[in-house]
Amino acid sequence: MSVVIETKDLTKTYEAGFFSGQEVHALKNMNLQINTGEIFAYLGPNGSGKTTTIKMMLSLIFPTSGSIEILGRKDIRSSEVKRQIGYLPEGAYYPEFLKGEEVLRFYGQLYGLSGEDLEQRVAKTLDIVSMTYARNRLIRGYSKGMRQRIGLAQALLSDPTILILDEPTTGLDPLARKEMRDILANLRDEGKTLLISSHELQEVELISDRVAIIYRGEMQISGTLTELLTDRDVTIEADSITPAAQAKLEQLNIKAEDITKERSLLHIPSGMSLYDAVEVCKQENINILSVAPRRETLEELFVRTVGDASRAESGKAQPATAAN
Amino acid sequence: MSATTSARGVWAIAMYTWREGIRKKTLIGFLLLSLLVIFGSTFMTAFMTQATVSGNIETEVETKIIKDICVSAISIFGILITIFMSASVVPNEMENKVIYTVLSKPVRRYQYLLGKFAGVQLIVIANLVLMSLLFIIALYIKEQVVPTLLMWSTLLTYFQFLIVSSFTFAISCTSTSSVLPTISGLFIYITGNLTEYLNDVSNRSGTTESGIDAIIGQVASMLYKILPNLRSFDLRNQILYLAPNDPPADVQIPNLILYGLLYGFAGYLLAQVLFSRKEL
Repeated sequence: MSVVIETKDLTKTYEAGFFSGQEVHALKNMNLQINTGEIFAYLGPNGSGKTTTIKMMLSLIFPTSGSIEILGRKDIRSSEVKRQIGYLPEGAYYPEFLKGEEVLRFYGQLYGLSGEDLEQRVAKTLDIVSMTYARNRLIRGYSKGMRQRIGLAQALLSDPTILILDEPTTGLDPLARKEMRDILANLRDEGKTLLISSHELQEVELISDRVAIIYRGEMQISGTLTELLTDRDVTIEADSITPAAQAKLEQLNIKAEDITKERSLLHIPSGMSLYDAVEVCKQENINILSVAPRRETLEELFVRTVGDASRAESGKAQPATAAN
Repeated sequence: MSATTSARGVWAIAMYTWREGIRKKTLIGFLLLSLLVIFGSTFMTAFMTQATVSGNIETEVETKIIKDICVSAISIFGILITIFMSASVVPNEMENKVIYTVLSKPVRRYQYLLGKFAGVQLIVIANLVLMSLLFIIALYIKEQVVPTLLMWSTLLTYFQFLIVSSFTFAISCTSTSSVLPTISGLFIYITGNLTEYLNDVSNRSGTTESGIDAIIGQVASMLYKILPNLRSFDLRNQILYLAPNDPPADVQIPNLILYGLLYGFAGYLLAQVLFSRKEL
């Protein structure tokens, strides 16, 4: 598996103000390796540096230091490299007075396409995103999902090797999200590499192969979902619990969470056997409704990682604050 | 990238700018208002002159009023459209993120800017031609001669607009909103029309022996040499007082065109320099 995008110590620093002389690190020594044919999810809270990284890959902004290689080439501004990248920005606008196919024709001309070639590419990309039926309609009449699919189509016009998608499913209804997810999975199956920046963690978990979580411009963790989502536990769904039983469970570090007035979810701590937990329930006359194994979700991993990073940062800042 | 591919991209961007620009409500509003003023002036003068004077004098006054109103309308609305379009095309695309989708394609920044600038010029020319055409028709109906002087004036007015447009466009390339470039465009237009005063200041500066006076004189002289003199493109008085088919007097049209082109190119070049390293 070859590397299609690689960043080495990529750093971006802005000046906080003209006179203050202070610097803001949007990205600090970012090292990324994105392999061919994978869906790579690039995650982080707002302002963590995701869009900054993407913009540097597209030469929309320039690195303060470090380097980017795309398809083994350092001249990422060259037409040859740009031809291999399709980009869908978050919340992009497409002129309301144009038809779907006219928007694609405009973008196709930017690749130097014309005549029959252009028409064929427009037809093919419309087909990929299942928008052939609406090609003659004005963008004005498009739903948000349809606009997003036209956005994806413009990114696919040159049949690129790499797709960079910023929040591709944000704001879409569940049906449109599912359709978009299917399209992205198909593109990956065709051998394309997808870099997705998103806040829709459930969607990302369903389709991505590898994940990186960044916070304040620094890499926190990265790896495959199997590598990262290792925390597993068992939950027991039970009828309502008496205060005495609850006290006993707390002594054993079993966390009881009320689902409804009549139902509770018991989280068995790692290290305690399921048999022991069931035994405790029997002793306390807790009526067990179901027992389920559970894997940590990407959302939980994200919250935990960002929370840890935030606490670590506050810890670092504490002595300085105290000194002041 | 081949020259054909490159030209195709520039042309596509110019056409896109044109198609989007002519749908802007502000532009349509300015244009309709100007056409209304030009068209309405013929009726207005008819009412005014009926009540006041008669004979040949009546026709002369009437024509002069039409000319005065129309020249003013073309000048005011034309420059407003020019500044508005030049100031907004690039910042608007940054705001709605179209610029990201365009520049992530195999399009160089200079090609993008060339396409945008060409699109703006197409809009400016189309508006100017439309307004002038209506004026020409109104004047032809009144005087039964082809107003060639007005045609020369339209040509020179475009080069005046080109200068303002190119510098406004350059400032817009550094901005994320169209407010600052619009204000700057108006400033350029006003200053460019007042450069004769700078020359006056420069000439008068030697009359006293004060050091400050001499410095002010030198600054005024320098600004007079640097700033474009937009007044020199103005044929307003000739349109008002000469016959419509008279040739323009006291102006070197080829020199003025060259002057406009040079300043226009300087403004455009400045835009390219500012935009080449702009962080989007």
